[in-house]
Amino acid sequence: MGSMIKAKDLSFTYEDSDEGIKDVDFEIEAGEVVLITGNSGCGKSTLLRCLNGLIPAVTEGELKGSLNVAGKDAKDLKMHELNMELGSVFQNPRSQFFTDNTTSELVFPMENYGFSKEEMDVKVAQLKKDYMLDDLMDRNIFSLSSGERQMLALACARTMGQRVLLFDEPSANLDYGNAMRLGRLIERMKKQGLTIIVADHRFYYLDGIIDKALFMDNGNLKVFNSEEEFKSSGYNTRSFDIFSIDTGFHNKSLSGERVAGLNGVSYKDIIKDVSLDLHKGEITVIVGNNGAGKTTLAKLFSKSIKPDSGKIDVKELPFFIMQDPDYQLFGTSVFNELTLVKNDPSRIEECLKYLNLYEYKDAHPFELSGGQKQRLQIGMAMLCDKDVIIFDEPTSGLDVSSMERVSGEICRLGEKSAVMVISHDYEFIRNVADRIVYLKDGYIKEDFLLNEENLEKLNNIFHELEKERKDEKTQD
Amino acid sequence: MKWLNINPIVLILINILAPSMYIFVNGSYLQVFLAIFCSALLCLMGQFKKLAYFAILYAAMYGIYLLGFSVEFFRFMSGFFAVLLQFVPCLMLASIVVSKYSSTQLLSALEGIHLPRVLVVATTVTLKYFPTFRREFKYILESMRLRGIAFTWKKPIESFRYFIVPQLFRCAALAEEVTAAGLVKGIDAPVRRTSYFELKFRFTDSLVLCIFAAGIIGGYIWAA
Repeated sequence: MGSMIKAKDLSFTYEDSDEGIKDVDFEIEAGEVVLITGNSGCGKSTLLRCLNGLIPAVTEGELKGSLNVAGKDAKDLKMHELNMELGSVFQNPRSQFFTDNTTSELVFPMENYGFSKEEMDVKVAQLKKDYMLDDLMDRNIFSLSSGERQMLALACARTMGQRVLLFDEPSANLDYGNAMRLGRLIERMKKQGLTIIVADHRFYYLDGIIDKALFMDNGNLKVFNSEEEFKSSGYNTRSFDIFSIDTGFHNKSLSGERVAGLNGVSYKDIIKDVSLDLHKGEITVIVGNNGAGKTTLAKLFSKSIKPDSGKIDVKELPFFIMQDPDYQLFGTSVFNELTLVKNDPSRIEECLKYLNLYEYKDAHPFELSGGQKQRLQIGMAMLCDKDVIIFDEPTSGLDVSSMERVSGEICRLGEKSAVMVISHDYEFIRNVADRIVYLKDGYIKEDFLLNEENLEKLNNIFHELEKERKDEKTQD
Repeated sequence: MKWLNINPIVLILINILAPSMYIFVNGSYLQVFLAIFCSALLCLMGQFKKLAYFAILYAAMYGIYLLGFSVEFFRFMSGFFAVLLQFVPCLMLASIVVSKYSSTQLLSALEGIHLPRVLVVATTVTLKYFPTFRREFKYILESMRLRGIAFTWKKPIESFRYFIVPQLFRCAALAEEVTAAGLVKGIDAPVRRTSYFELKFRFTDSLVLCIFAAGIIGGYIWAA
């Protein structure tokens, strides 16, 4: 085993922001699993982009210091040479895939490198076997589930026989079961001698397989040479064992007015005879694996789709905050965005101050960072005075401290409205939930208040979610 | 019956050539010829829905054009629609290029005619933006509805701004995302690209090109 990647005094400064990395030194041996972590904006993504060459190829800024990949100076390597060694798996399907067909995507790198049709056939057959892609061939990429997309992305990153894999926030778009499955896949690839580098805020799925942790803070790097060293470092590493957290329980007495309800609702094959009431002052969390029908349930409440049978009882359209804020911001400034919801300057000002967004009030919403955009959306929800507020995965891609912040804000919303949250983020659920609804294959399998005696039920659901994915794998 | 499968390069070539032919060939002849030629092509490829859609578009535009002669109010639009009409056949072919072929097929086809890689990549990315645009457009309309700022003709400019501004920002981000996706997958490799999907230049492809050329030359001779 030799040194695979070696960085010495590596620094990068963006042209138009202060974020970046400063004098970073580290060495990664072949066959190691390395975690890069730290809070949002700490420089994880920057470091990852330095490794896969997107810095300096695409992103503009000043790069200093040296970086060696597989014994060669990265400066002397062209993108296509570097990417023969490194495979990249991005967090967002839009930046991951160049085409929209699974087969096209899988052969795309090989076409670029000029493989013959026969060579491609051999490789495709191999990848199909290694990553269980049989059912995924020749399909539209946007019709795949997030777990399937992850598998495809992984296979694509290995088409050139890359020995080093880079993952950018893989858990952000995966449910709990799929994240755990990814963890096992990484473990398997480690045994095959591959070098795996994962940049993520959450790392529960990597428990017990990390060889080295690179902790970034404000562009500076601290290296931990083993998982134990990282765990005993005092940084908030309880994320390794999410079930051990202790958040307490709300133990609210729930007697709020019923403001929305589904009564015996079915929709296609996705939702089957579901009845669910939402009450004011209650935070209901919908859990279940991807594909269980959680988002469809939210769409039924917001009347985006009509049920095939059953009755939907909603007085007014709920305020629905979907996953991607980029599609949901229309204002010319942060302040203007909120006036579109409610034209009440004094309340808007108070709300912006509460969310720490006041200094950005004149900025365009699209200039904000991902986390700030999300806070702005929460601000919109606070001002809207609606009875029902729905969140779809509000914490995907948030670090632990941002997640805790959002939890506090959502709890505040839950004081006067009925809040329905779709989530697979266990820690977040423990922070906000008054009530848990477990959706499985379109049915409500369980529906209970989250308190001390029912905690076991929630934990069992998560174990079941994980097991479900595991069984899927053994079937293949 | 088996629908005709045409090499996308033929469609792109015809689309580049057709408009410039107005310099050489009688305008009304070319207009009729292109309309018939492109409709026939769509029929042979089994794209009847598209054909119907464009036929309606064509008829509507033609109607406005004719109306322009009789009604004062429409006169200013008449000339404009006369010009727009000429684009419809090309639009038909372009819509097939975008919808029927994947990015990799287009890449390989364009490389086949030895265009520089930079141009090929730029063209492919542009062509692939249309389906993405359509998809994202739906999301935006949906979230406008949920926010209660749905499109209304009472405030057309404001409404238009609401859905065009997010698109523009997304567009800028998308350009970078797609570039990154291509670059980490060796799109800059200095070797000749191969293609997994067979896109050979077949007899039918040459036949289509020949018919197109014959129509143009015929028109030229006929007009002379």
